[in-house]
Amino acid sequence: MPFVLSKDSPRPTVPTMPDGLFTFFAALTLGAALLLVLSRNAVTSAMGMILALVGIAADFFLLDAYFLGVLQVLVYAGAVMVLFLFIIMLLDTDDATGSYPWKTAALGLATFFLLAAGVIWLFHWSGAVSPTPAGATPPELSANPAEFTTAAKSFGRLLYTKYLLPLEIAGFLLLVALVGVVSLSKDAPEGQA
Amino acid sequence: MESTTLAHHLLLAGLLFAVGLTGVLLRRNLLVVTMCLELMLAASTLAMVAFSRFNHKMDGAIFVFFVITVAAAEVAVGLALIVALYRRRGTIQSDALNTLRD
Amino acid sequence: MPPDFSSLVHWILFLPLGAALFIALFLRRAGTLAAGLSTGVAFAIAALALRLLTVTSADTLWHVELAKLGGISLGFGYLIDANARLMLFVVSFVAAWIHLFSVGYMQDDDARGRFFGGLSIFMFSILGIVVADNLLMTFVFWELVGFSSYMLIAHYFDKDDAAEASKKAFIVNRLGDLGFILGIAFCLAHHGTLNFAELGALKPVAGWPWLLGALLMCGFIGKSAQFPLHVWLTDAMAGPTPVSALIHAATMVAAGVYFMARISFLMTDEVLGFIAISGAGMAALAGLCALAQTDIKKSLAYSTLAHLGIMGCAIGLHRPDLAVLHMAMHAFFKATLFLGAGSVIHGCHHEQDMLKMGGLARKMPVTAATFIAATLSNCAVPFLAGWYSKDAIIEAAHHHNLYLFALLALAALATCLYSARMVRLVFFGPANSAAAEHAHESPWTMTTPLVVLGLVFSVAAGFAAPALIPASALAQVAAPLHEMAFHATAPATLVGGLALILGAFAFRYYGRAAGVDSLHADLPRVYSLLEFRWMDTFYGWVVASVQRRVAEFIAFLDLLLINGVAVRWLGAGIPAVIGYLAGRTLHRGQTRLYALSLVAGTLLLAWYFLAR
Repeated sequence: MPFVLSKDSPRPTVPTMPDGLFTFFAALTLGAALLLVLSRNAVTSAMGMILALVGIAADFFLLDAYFLGVLQVLVYAGAVMVLFLFIIMLLDTDDATGSYPWKTAALGLATFFLLAAGVIWLFHWSGAVSPTPAGATPPELSANPAEFTTAAKSFGRLLYTKYLLPLEIAGFLLLVALVGVVSLSKDAPEGQA
Repeated sequence: MESTTLAHHLLLAGLLFAVGLTGVLLRRNLLVVTMCLELMLAASTLAMVAFSRFNHKMDGAIFVFFVITVAAAEVAVGLALIVALYRRRGTIQSDALNTLRD
Repeated sequence: MPPDFSSLVHWILFLPLGAALFIALFLRRAGTLAAGLSTGVAFAIAALALRLLTVTSADTLWHVELAKLGGISLGFGYLIDANARLMLFVVSFVAAWIHLFSVGYMQDDDARGRFFGGLSIFMFSILGIVVADNLLMTFVFWELVGFSSYMLIAHYFDKDDAAEASKKAFIVNRLGDLGFILGIAFCLAHHGTLNFAELGALKPVAGWPWLLGALLMCGFIGKSAQFPLHVWLTDAMAGPTPVSALIHAATMVAAGVYFMARISFLMTDEVLGFIAISGAGMAALAGLCALAQTDIKKSLAYSTLAHLGIMGCAIGLHRPDLAVLHMAMHAFFKATLFLGAGSVIHGCHHEQDMLKMGGLARKMPVTAATFIAATLSNCAVPFLAGWYSKDAIIEAAHHHNLYLFALLALAALATCLYSARMVRLVFFGPANSAAAEHAHESPWTMTTPLVVLGLVFSVAAGFAAPALIPASALAQVAAPLHEMAFHATAPATLVGGLALILGAFAFRYYGRAAGVDSLHADLPRVYSLLEFRWMDTFYGWVVASVQRRVAEFIAFLDLLLINGVAVRWLGAGIPAVIGYLAGRTLHRGQTRLYALSLVAGTLLLAWYFLAR
């Protein structure tokens, strides 16, 4: 059964209610995302973001990617969002003034529904993605695919053997970001505008 | 209740991506815009993990690892830029930052 | 298997090129060495050409394909038939003796290295035309000859008239070459090949298209100074005398005649008719104009024009064999005449005005003897070299068309008139200037060629030709020689006789007054008519009033349409308007608008790729 997107894939059956936990966490994530986008207060948006990230981490757990779920909570929801909150509070910005002008609101709603409709169409009506029958072997997708495990050890082994080059480059990227941030944060020298 | 399929997870990722994109287009506060960008990235990592799980391969998950790294670096630099911008212009409302025009 | 003489031809063709390159690279300053090298090479290839002429009577063919574009094959090759062998010999032989003459004539010249390099590259170019086996190769060497001529005419490049003359020669030649290259394109489009042998075998059912012949004829008109592109030849006398002898008397101008003989099967009757009439007309007119020239070289130039007209007329009369024969004979005696003039000029310390010469027969006997011998050949005195060919052509004209015959007869009469005038003014009578008083005979390097070309070939060869012909390989030109020697007919003989009587009369007439042209004194209006440069004035008028006006009008259109409308409005204006509008709508400085545009574009792209 192909997982690749193709027009010739067979039409799926009508979907039924999926797993309860998944439904709960999906609703949570979407609700948090909407909170992020629609709230006027920047801090409330940040809270919504954190909640959304936690929901995504829960979904990672449901997908047997335990290590990644933990990583997501620690790094993303932990470090990155804390950084965001620091900056929000540092800059002491005003709340979004007034309600949105109707034009902007209409545009926003229209964009959202367009995108959502596109996504739903892509997955449920175009037949591009079909359900897996249980036990079927997925097709070979890359030259040297790594076997699926849930252990963190396998992450480490893969990172240092097959994905060594991207790892090194990622480290270099972090160094560059560090240098960039330091130079951006410096005060302008005296006498310069 | 049936077990979730790839389609469900991809649908969730897609909807999250759409919400994030709407936020980028709609909000004027630069910080919120950056957060919506991060939401889009997170949605794409969700899709990658879903693919990795349903294809029984690890390559997708490894890629998520790198996406998180890059996102962190990008957030750091982006926030530094916003702070510098605030220092120069006293505001981070994108409507007020419109001097780059003809 | 007949023996292959293509290697001989390789030597003949490429030795002068090697000499020219060597001189250009190393011997620019060493004039004597350059002169020696160039002259040595010239004699070597003359010997090789003589060997080729006498050893075989079979055609030599050689070809190498250089490029294949589409279905068209472009190559470099030799087609050495009887005409080519004769021409190779004539060109190289005459050129060799002219090289020797130049050694003496250019002795005091500092730029001798450049001169002899130019002579060598000219040799390469003209020999290339002679041996070429296809139209494109001929054209390439044609242009090379034009370039060599340009270089050599402007040898004294600091003199205005020389520089102007070389430009004029090149430009007028180029006009002819325009027709030539259009003809090549037409031939390629119509017949798919440029090779002479293949074209000869083609024989189309409806005959050849007249346009092809007409276009290829344009090259001949330019190179061989036929009407209306004859205006460059007289001005080209501003170059050194050996150049005039080699290029503008013996070889380059004859290249056109040779080329026409090669492709005469491509000409239709209308084209040939035009050539015949314009040739005969030019012969008569130029001969008369020669009576009004006081510069010895210009007078000889008009004489060359007349003879070229006669050659053209021969081609037009469907007798290319006679044209080639006359070209060979003409090369010998005209070269002698020019070299003799050079000797005279050198002896009189660069005095070129005939009215200031006189009595040189006593002071320069060898020059005088050879000059008079060549003049008699020019006037077609029976059994001299010129008689065979020129009277044969007059004969052919008589059979064909009485008007042509009348024009050629007039040309023959004029020839004797101006020849007698020249001889009388230069060599007889009292000396008319101090320069002529103190004239002295030229050194051996200059007199030897005169003797060889003049006495030996113009005179002796003429006598000996009928006896030699059956035994030699000159079968191609044997028939007309044979014919003339033993079956000379009345009309040509009558004309010839009358011309000689007139010549004698002219000899006395021009001796009447010293230092003054008798015709000028007696009939000044006729003289000024003959002197007037009709075509040059006409061309000058065309350029000034017609061409300049057209050019100015086109310039005006260019300014208005191309500069104004196309560049300013369309080219710069519309982008400016579009840019302004785009700037107004897109460059607003609003970040969200940019983000929206970005997303919209990405979605469009995604839709495009997914919907495929």
